[in-house]
Amino acid sequence: MLLYCPKALAARLAALLVATLLFGCFPAMAQEKDPAAAHPIMVPNPAADLWRAVRQREAPAVGMTQVQGVETGVLIDSSGEDFRNFRRQDFIGNAAIFIGAFAALILVFYFTRGCIKIPGGRSGKLIKRFPDIDRTIHWFTAILFIFQALTGMILLFGRFVVLPVFGQEAFSVIASACLEGHNLFGPLFLIALFLLFTRFAAKNIPKRRDLTWLRRGGGAIGEGHVSSGFFNAGEKIWFWAVIVLGLTVSISGLILNFPIFGQGRETMQLTLIVHGITAVLLTAGSFAHIYIGTIGSEGSLQSMTTGYVDENWAEAHHDLWHAEMMERGEPVVDQRKEKQEIPPMNAAPDKA
Amino acid sequence: MSIGEFVDGPFWYFSAAVFVIGVLWRLIGMLTMGSKRDLSVARASGSAGAIGINITRFFPRRDFWSRIKLQVVAGYLFHVGLFVLLFFAAPHIEFYRERVLGFGWPALPEWAFIVFAEIAFLGLLLLILHRMMHPVTRMISSRGDYIGSVLLFLVMLTGCLALARSHESLRILHFFLAELLLLYFPFSALMHTFTFPFSRGFMGAHYGRRGVRV
Repeated sequence: MLLYCPKALAARLAALLVATLLFGCFPAMAQEKDPAAAHPIMVPNPAADLWRAVRQREAPAVGMTQVQGVETGVLIDSSGEDFRNFRRQDFIGNAAIFIGAFAALILVFYFTRGCIKIPGGRSGKLIKRFPDIDRTIHWFTAILFIFQALTGMILLFGRFVVLPVFGQEAFSVIASACLEGHNLFGPLFLIALFLLFTRFAAKNIPKRRDLTWLRRGGGAIGEGHVSSGFFNAGEKIWFWAVIVLGLTVSISGLILNFPIFGQGRETMQLTLIVHGITAVLLTAGSFAHIYIGTIGSEGSLQSMTTGYVDENWAEAHHDLWHAEMMERGEPVVDQRKEKQEIPPMNAAPDKA
Repeated sequence: MSIGEFVDGPFWYFSAAVFVIGVLWRLIGMLTMGSKRDLSVARASGSAGAIGINITRFFPRRDFWSRIKLQVVAGYLFHVGLFVLLFFAAPHIEFYRERVLGFGWPALPEWAFIVFAEIAFLGLLLLILHRMMHPVTRMISSRGDYIGSVLLFLVMLTGCLALARSHESLRILHFFLAELLLLYFPFSALMHTFTFPFSRGFMGAHYGRRGVRV
């Protein structure tokens, strides 16, 4: 009967509460005084120790493994995370600033200087400048370069530019396609460089007069045109830059593309940075090359599309080559005469 | 029906049918066209001339070599590369086994596939550019020549972009372009794939019968 008495029940519950509080507080108080007494039996977490052992922050822990290969004894290497952070936070941002600034500089130059016109306008007389094979090799290199540059830029900046626009799924498809295409066309670019070198190297050997051209800033920056042969100093610098940077970007690309020759993580990371820097330099340089070859200089593009240049263009930009051609008696195609002499195929028959 | 199902299903059957019927139609038409009977006394065997020219035309004439080496080298690179890709790439053999023939054959390893893809692209790009750059070739090229070349390039390109085989959409894009190529094939100069032995043979027999060595 006592058990069911409400007063007795309340008293018992109060006693239980007090006891709980007392027992709950005393160990805590004791712990403050003597920490060892709080955990009389230390149970180390084996998983935590293992994690600390493999997740070395200072240097990778190298273990033994049956698997033979480069760095197969390393379970986790923190340098990979450091490199990833460097690539994402420092390299990509600076690369974007550099390319953007270079493009802006060219735009500013275009709006201040404008297109360099042919002095005296077009004469209508054409001189052969590039044979078909040279133009084929040039455009072969150009197509490969543009493809590599576009796919490379998507791989470099895509996470920040393409992903927010197209979403994760589409970006995954685009990035996968770009990577495959980039890896496939990379070796072809090396072949293009070889062909370019064999056809153009002889004409790009530096000469003393190139120093004068450089001192006077070429025709674009200084006053008036400066004498030059088949290629001027600016063109020669671009050619050798393409060869040297192109070789660097191609060889580094091959090292990245074929990680089967014992390249370790550090080698791959360093190679990726070298590959990225040279690719960014080449891309920025190509902006200048494309600009001066198209909207920057009247009559220049024609040399690579038809193979011919206007005589006035040749005299103004490459006077020494023009004089040499005249001395050798190279044929000059007079467009105006040809138009007069050869009637169009659909012309009406002469009634007279 | 999704785009993928359409490309894999009805559009595939339609393009394959157009390709097979179109190629047969043109070949049968060409072979049954006949020619005026040659009443002259044969000086030599026409058949020998036909067979001979089919072989000798694989090699460039020495007199022309310096002027046509780019076309010859690029032509061989492209055709050999394309042949190997078409018949010895693992995904293609898998496709023939599952969808066309019911049987397959050993495929090339991945690295060899890559090498032949590089070779084919090198050849095709040089051939397209030569067509555009060389004044005579440009003059005799029709719009169809460019369409065929560019379509072929796109089929090869999308095939290589889908190499990772991790995205169905890339495979469908490649397959769709390949189907467009099948549709275009019988009505274009790409028919030379099948007609070249006959055209060479006709010319070889014509001259061979007259005792002319070509």
